Amino acid sequence: MPRPALRWIAAAAVLFASPALAAEGERITVKGELIDTWCYYSGVMGSPESTLGSAHHTCALWCSAGGVPVGLLAEDGQVYMVLKIEGSDDVNGGDTLLTLASDTITADGLVYRRDGLNYIVVEKVVSNEGITKLTHEEYGAVPDFSVPEPKK
Amino acid sequence: MKVLFALALVATPALSQDFSVGSQAESWNLYAESPALFEAKVVDPLCDLTGDCPADCGAGNRQLALLRAVDQVLVYALKNGQPVFTGSANDLLPYCGKVVEVDGLVLIDPDIGLKNVFLIQKIREKGAADWVKANRWTKDWKAANPTLTGKDPWFRQDPRVKAEIAKNGYFGLGLEIDAAAIKALFQ
Repeated sequence: MPRPALRWIAAAAVLFASPALAAEGERITVKGELIDTWCYYSGVMGSPESTLGSAHHTCALWCSAGGVPVGLLAEDGQVYMVLKIEGSDDVNGGDTLLTLASDTITADGLVYRRDGLNYIVVEKVVSNEGITKLTHEEYGAVPDFSVPEPKK
Repeated sequence: MKVLFALALVATPALSQDFSVGSQAESWNLYAESPALFEAKVVDPLCDLTGDCPADCGAGNRQLALLRAVDQVLVYALKNGQPVFTGSANDLLPYCGKVVEVDGLVLIDPDIGLKNVFLIQKIREKGAADWVKANRWTKDWKAANPTLTGKDPWFRQDPRVKAEIAKNGYFGLGLEIDAAAIKALFQ
């Protein structure tokens, strides 16, 4: 094989096979709910819808405090894994995400797409509407033991 | 044509990879789970993606990920092996920057475009004989909360969780709405 062709193959192979190099983020403003990604994706609690909003709020607190990655579920169904928020990289059980659990926010930040997943660095929470999905009206508490029966 | 064939061989080594070979992962009966055993480098995804790279992977603040050796795919670790609402960053942190083997469950659901997220059950540094169970989170929590020795699980005792519930209720909608919702729930 001619030497130029080998060089071309080598260069192209590096481009295709090494997506690990840091990439430019894409500026985005996105509105969505801060979710517990494990329960949403795994189906361990039932349907994805049951892991959103008020029904799942206590479980979302547990998972956020427990270091399960928090995601931003946008209105179009895309999930953005939150890697940093308002200057804090304390996203392994940190206070900022804990206090925002289940809230619908509008975030301004940078998105990085890699191997089928979206990751977001939230530079600013532009607005916070609180919990907007009143899912407890349909699902009750998810899981049911997340809300203890009041003592009589 | 030969060039394209060569590129395909180099660029897509994992398309036919069966990561279940040799896995001893326990099923969690999840609809999208597949057992997976693979070699990977433990990385800080914030560093890998943005170039913001503290030496210690963020000293426990950050989420961590697995850069799979065979194909350089970034696999995001969502969960450790404990069924108590706990993530995996604490289990991965001791291996920051190291090459490890992990055994667990990968979630794949083409219907919603889900792939490359992982539940870690066991981990060991490459070359090590013994596996380490991914169950570090509750040990770390107990060390950080030595006075909380009740029988309830951590998530019932955690002061920060309890403070949020005390402030906004179990459903997060405020205490008045919460009381009415709980009354309706148990009627």
